[in-house]
Amino acid sequence: MTVPALRHERTFVERLYLPEIVKGLYITLRHALKNLFEQDLPTIEYPDVRKPMPERYKGAHRLTTRPDGKVKCVACMCCAQVCPAKCITIQAGEDPNDPIEKYPVEFQIDMLRCIYCGYCVEACPKDAIRMDTGIYEINAFTRQDMVHNKAYMTDLMDGHKPLAETFYRQQAGSAPKGYDTDEQRVLPVDGSRGL
Amino acid sequence: MPIVKINGVEIEVPAGTNMIDAAAKAGFDIPHYCYHPHLSIAGNCRMCTCEIEAGGRGLEIACNMQARDGLAIRTDSPQVKAVRRNVMEFLLKNHPLDCPICDQSGECRLQDYYMEHGQYESRLADPKVGKHKRMDIGDHLVLDAERCIACSRCVRFGDEVTGTGELRLFNRTDHTEIGIFPGERISHAYQGNLADICPVGAITSKDFRFEKRVWYLDETDSVCTGCATGCNIRVCHQQGQVFRYMPRRNDAVNKSWMCDHGRLGWQDIASLRRVLRARIDGKQAELSEGIRAAAAALRGVDASSVAFVLGTRATNEANWALWKVARANLPQAGVYWCQGNDPGAWSQVDDLLMDADKNPNRAGARALADHDAAIGDGTDLAHAVREGKVRMLVVLHDDVLGRLEDAAEGVAVLHLGSQRNTTADKARIVLPATHPTEQDGTFTNRAGRVQRIRRALPAAGDALPDWQLVELLGAALGKGPGARDAATAFKLLAGEVKAFAGMTYKDLGGGGLPLRQPEPLPSPPPAQPAAP
Amino acid sequence: MDIPWVELIVALLKCVFSLAFVMQVVPILIWAERKVSAYIQDRTGPNRAHIGGIRAAGLVHTLVDVVKLIVKEDIIPSHVEKRYWFAAPVVAMSVALTTFTVVPWGDALTLPASVTALWGGEGPLSVPLQVAQINGGMLFILAIGSLGVYGVMLAGWASNNKFSLLGGLRASAQMVSYELAMGLAVVTMFMLYGTARLDEIAAQQAGPIWNWGVFGVLDNPGLDPLVLVGWIVGGLAFLLFWTSVFAETNRMPFDLPEGEAELVAGYHIEYSSLRFALFFMAEYAHMVVGSAVTATLFFGGYNIPFLDGQAIRENTDIILAVLGFGGVPASIVFAVIAWRRRNRPFYKALPADDIRHREPRFWLAVWSLSALAALGLGVVGLSGLVGGTALGPELVAFALQTGSLFLKVLFGTFFMIWIRWTIPRFRYDQLMDLGWRTMLPVAIGTVMLAGVWVIVREAVQAA
Repeated sequence: MTVPALRHERTFVERLYLPEIVKGLYITLRHALKNLFEQDLPTIEYPDVRKPMPERYKGAHRLTTRPDGKVKCVACMCCAQVCPAKCITIQAGEDPNDPIEKYPVEFQIDMLRCIYCGYCVEACPKDAIRMDTGIYEINAFTRQDMVHNKAYMTDLMDGHKPLAETFYRQQAGSAPKGYDTDEQRVLPVDGSRGL
Repeated sequence: MPIVKINGVEIEVPAGTNMIDAAAKAGFDIPHYCYHPHLSIAGNCRMCTCEIEAGGRGLEIACNMQARDGLAIRTDSPQVKAVRRNVMEFLLKNHPLDCPICDQSGECRLQDYYMEHGQYESRLADPKVGKHKRMDIGDHLVLDAERCIACSRCVRFGDEVTGTGELRLFNRTDHTEIGIFPGERISHAYQGNLADICPVGAITSKDFRFEKRVWYLDETDSVCTGCATGCNIRVCHQQGQVFRYMPRRNDAVNKSWMCDHGRLGWQDIASLRRVLRARIDGKQAELSEGIRAAAAALRGVDASSVAFVLGTRATNEANWALWKVARANLPQAGVYWCQGNDPGAWSQVDDLLMDADKNPNRAGARALADHDAAIGDGTDLAHAVREGKVRMLVVLHDDVLGRLEDAAEGVAVLHLGSQRNTTADKARIVLPATHPTEQDGTFTNRAGRVQRIRRALPAAGDALPDWQLVELLGAALGKGPGARDAATAFKLLAGEVKAFAGMTYKDLGGGGLPLRQPEPLPSPPPAQPAAP
Repeated sequence: MDIPWVELIVALLKCVFSLAFVMQVVPILIWAERKVSAYIQDRTGPNRAHIGGIRAAGLVHTLVDVVKLIVKEDIIPSHVEKRYWFAAPVVAMSVALTTFTVVPWGDALTLPASVTALWGGEGPLSVPLQVAQINGGMLFILAIGSLGVYGVMLAGWASNNKFSLLGGLRASAQMVSYELAMGLAVVTMFMLYGTARLDEIAAQQAGPIWNWGVFGVLDNPGLDPLVLVGWIVGGLAFLLFWTSVFAETNRMPFDLPEGEAELVAGYHIEYSSLRFALFFMAEYAHMVVGSAVTATLFFGGYNIPFLDGQAIRENTDIILAVLGFGGVPASIVFAVIAWRRRNRPFYKALPADDIRHREPRFWLAVWSLSALAALGLGVVGLSGLVGGTALGPELVAFALQTGSLFLKVLFGTFFMIWIRWTIPRFRYDQLMDLGWRTMLPVAIGTVMLAGVWVIVREAVQAA
């Protein structure tokens, strides 16, 4: 079945073209002047100003620890199993001095492969892996450095609070206009800004 | 034979058949923990409870029910389901639920049956009863009494199969736990089976401990090559690496058991003693070069001074191919098979499974020798070598030089094998063959049962399957036996040798078939374990 | 042989000045293109590069770009036709610069006898502010401007690449199509001005704003309704010419030679480093020249409306005082704005030791100095020191008139940028359609109407 496309019949003024150009010029000029004088752009001047991340933003993975400092992970491989990108490599080992016998000798996530789906967090029976760091600047100069290992992920939150504990509240006061200072992103959803 | 009715399905089974087996035959799975087809009935897990419709009344455990005429049971009535759910709740009451660190998870009956028959909400308000954990009860075993459901399978195995009886159930009610007598350790050679039969994670294997979650493992059916018994095994592997061998049930060979030596047989797959590349005069070479050099060497000597030795560790296909190559290209050459163990082979023997002959295919080589009377045995070969008639030996896997201890110096050896041994080290030309886990083929066990091995792994190094190596050697000499793959090789073999007549890989299936003309064999048939 | 040293040096100075005029606008344009496009699209545009913490609203990026383009590897593909490939960017750039030689940027600068006496001259020396006074100045522009397409064609052909070749082909076809309308628009203006000398054309437009070419070149129009005909003629000619300038400079919406969607980058696809930079600058130089020529033809050239050269020279002191005292409050307003910007969230988010905290202070200082300078200018104007000298009024007139042309050029180029970020690119058939079936007939009609107007104008002026 073919549906004939509805074509807009152009009026004489529209076909003159120049009035339409003037209309377009008016719109763009209005934007330019408004932005020039009001300086009220939605752009966030990253890296100096940072967008407050929502609480449930999935950032870099971290490994949580027990009170005694050992990782909670028991190398059950549930995360490795559920990972759709197959980016988690765990080498299990036995800790003879721990009632929880099994622990990960090495725990690696290849961040180049990771797709940040968060399944590992959901699959973990021990709440050992979380993505609540709010860290999205995951970069390195070599592929090898993009593989986060156990030590890195355990110490990732040193000196920081994870998102859920209002990681960004400290910066909230300086959030640019257009963003609620109270952590959640508030952008006009109707796209009406300036138009 | 009595006809029983299970969930309305009538089925005819031999009298006295256990109803769990009868139900399985009818296509119904009755959950069970303590029942094991090769152990006595204990009836203490109560999981197999079924409702009797006719020929009795009430609920009874299926494992202790024997098929008799007029018996009708139901395995899916609401009552049965309620019983199962309650049984699961009891069994799991003190279970630590440490599945994340338990090696059994993935193949644990508690996990499976909870999902199938449990699914209750926990009502436990009191702390769980703690028991002994991580007990070192044997060289290959770890016992976690907390995970135990007291099914007593391991106790019965010790009592009935090995007769050593180290394990017992101690204490009463919910303090019941499996344990060994103070100061004792399990030291028999069948420890691995305890980990296998344990339906939960109470007894686990030290060798496999924390190595791999079982759900990652691919499984390939094969046959143990540790000795002539030919226990059926399952090769558990992932990404080209073998993690464990598991016994595979074959009532005619190994029931459900295998010995610990065979269980660790996978360790020589990637061992340093593997032959991975062709070698000519001690120098590494391309495989094609090696084959060309071997063919040239064979043509370079007087054909009558060449001796082909069929391998008692090589597949039937390879032995047949070697025999064909010898007959087709060097008719004057002698063909022998050489009985006896390689020097340094493991020596443990008992009347349960471990055979004195440590070669998996002696019977197969013997069958070929019976087919062609011109094939001499080890004594003939020793004679010929001593008399100086043999200038060149072509050896398949076996450590022939080691067996002929006083073998004359100066005999050029062409060795086709997967493991280094005295012969391979002294050989002029060595061609790499695959390990049995890396190829298809058949072995004939001590009782004359032809059983299949299947390729589980990619070949290591340049190695080629036994039959293919021989095939290429034959082609280089002028005429190969003409097999495209192991299956056609076996088909050609079956068409030619009467003992194998009519067999195909399909017919062999998982359990194998006995040779057509069972040969009287020197060693006695395996002793039957104590009957239940 | 008697070498006219003075004339030579003066000519050389004029060349340097005209070059500088065009070249200094180019970086400003590159910056403006980025910033204007950003503001039109609700973005911030370049704002990262800084020198000592001063980002200058992104101007530093232009500087960084120059460094980048110089330092980048100059890749010469093995498959190009080397000779022409090397020549192409040079042609493009030099043609763009050559065109500017005939544009006047002020009426004659008269050096008084006291100055000429320095090198032994006799009497005052009148220096026309135009590199080349050619009788057919306008024709020169048409001729040389059309050569610009040779750069594009050479690049397209010599790159030995089908995208480049298509780009070059499109450029030449486009040039041929729009040259006609452009030529006819220029013919219209010939008829109105009665001359092709650009300095005379500019001189004719001195005085009131209705003397501008776009209003039909008419002294003292009065209230005669026939004046409208002049407006129509001038306006149409301007529209035709201005549109053709877009086409000749390959600017949006006529930048089909480098249409990214279908030609990747068109004719300059194989160029990198400084060779690419030459093409890049040539485009902006073309824009500057096109705007300058348009300003000269239609918008009074260097003339300030209602303030011809004579008026400037006679009222130098008043003009200086007005500019000076007008500049003081303007500078103060800017200073206040600059100082208030330190409260922006951006600065608050910066760490305390960030070098960019200097920025508000820097601009406060700059605008404060500017206010002081303006004050000084106003005081000088009040004192009447400049107007009394012989050279002073001449220099002021030169500065104001050049500044006037500069502003007109800036507006013209801003308009081009503005158009670029407003209108989408034409399809190729639309381009041809517009050129041949719309602009050419309109241009011919305009020429005819211009003939009528020239006659009518005499009548109107006579009245």
